[in-house]
Amino acid sequence: MRASFLAGAGSLACLALVCCLAESAAPAAPVVPEPAGYWMGPTHGPVATSLTGGTVIHTRRLAALLKTGAVMVVDVSEAPRRPANLAADAVWLPLPHPVIPGAVWIPGAGLGAISPTVERLFRERLAQGTGNDPTHRLVIYCHRNCWLSWNAAKRGISYGYTNVYWFPDGMEGWRAAGLSTANAEPLLP
Amino acid sequence: MGVTRTCLLALVMSTLGVLGQSRAAPADDSEAIMHAHAAQDAAERVARWKDLQHAIFGTRALKDGAGVIQIEAPEHALDAALVPITLTMKSATPIKGLYLVIDNNPSPVASHFTFGPRADPRSLKLRVRVNQYTFIHAVAETADGGLFVSQQFVKTSGGCSAPVGADNAQALKDMGLMKLHLLGTFTPGKPLQAQLMIRHPNFNGMQMDQITRNYTPARFIRTIDATYDGSAVFHLDSDISLSTDPVITFGFVPDKQGTMQLVVRDSDNALFNHSFDVPAG
Repeated sequence: MRASFLAGAGSLACLALVCCLAESAAPAAPVVPEPAGYWMGPTHGPVATSLTGGTVIHTRRLAALLKTGAVMVVDVSEAPRRPANLAADAVWLPLPHPVIPGAVWIPGAGLGAISPTVERLFRERLAQGTGNDPTHRLVIYCHRNCWLSWNAAKRGISYGYTNVYWFPDGMEGWRAAGLSTANAEPLLP
Repeated sequence: MGVTRTCLLALVMSTLGVLGQSRAAPADDSEAIMHAHAAQDAAERVARWKDLQHAIFGTRALKDGAGVIQIEAPEHALDAALVPITLTMKSATPIKGLYLVIDNNPSPVASHFTFGPRADPRSLKLRVRVNQYTFIHAVAETADGGLFVSQQFVKTSGGCSAPVGADNAQALKDMGLMKLHLLGTFTPGKPLQAQLMIRHPNFNGMQMDQITRNYTPARFIRTIDATYDGSAVFHLDSDISLSTDPVITFGFVPDKQGTMQLVVRDSDNALFNHSFDVPAG
């Protein structure tokens, strides 16, 4: 036990060192292959550059696509949850959540292991937003370097949607391009 | 039947992949575009800090902390759940407290330190979770009630939902175990830095257990009290933004050989109590 604790502390020290090094020279993004199933690892980190069965889309093309008409946009970012045991006088002030205008926000839809209630909600909202048309264009995003949207897009493809776009630039890329946003509330089961 | 369906699905998906559509388009947002539109966010960030300042300090005035408090954090933090923060303080009037505020975290006040007579508050290090790109503000409070603020921008995201480890049982094992390393040579009456490591998952309630598919209930350190031979070094009011297995490096002034006592209380009211000989025996 003692040894593992010390080993843990050692690796943390290494991490801190890497952080310092990262300041001077940003390392090149590692190439991450697509996992066979859903991504079960940490949510945030380097992501794959492709999505089998779907299309990777970046900011400028997405902005153009959204001008062409019927596109359903889904944000699958997490929503902050106030812990029940947070001190009563603690400052709890989640930021307003900006989305691509018109997007629906479904937290939890991109987890590697999705809960049945969220999955039902996700399926229903996709059916509703696409008018039950599997060829309807569907854009899924969360943040830059976030696997939730990759998983959710893959899930959408598994439901039979044939025009699924994954937008890996996420809200950071969208805002960086100066494009407008709207605030949204999360859809929760 | 389930197996057949899965196989069919896999076949359909791989066929779609072969048909094309999986090629990545080149990234088309450049650094130049990012800079051009940074101003839009800047105004929002200023407004956010104004709101927080009001929520935390009310109408009290904050002065520019240049020369009094310096905050260092990696601009691009590698791990959002483990962002190292170094605070350096210098003041003619003694410093009695320190607030660390992570503006864009849902619970922004990450730490409030109150220094006791045995403290050497010139340097403090700790690690925090950062949910998204944010300013981090450090506010030093002097004995005469002055408030001095410094800020640093950190680009990282996802620290709140980042899992603690592969499984929760492992994370809860050894909870409350502590280590104290003295980072220097003990000389009576001379300031000494010490690194405190506490084994605690500091669950914030936003982490999903990948096995049970439920959110792990929040369980986090509320307070830490450090005393030297019964005289206070610091009291920390903490929150869910502190990293898992907190590591805090702080300064104190041991007047003579003695005992550093640490008392940690968490949100389940569990109490962890450890004493360390100074210098280590």
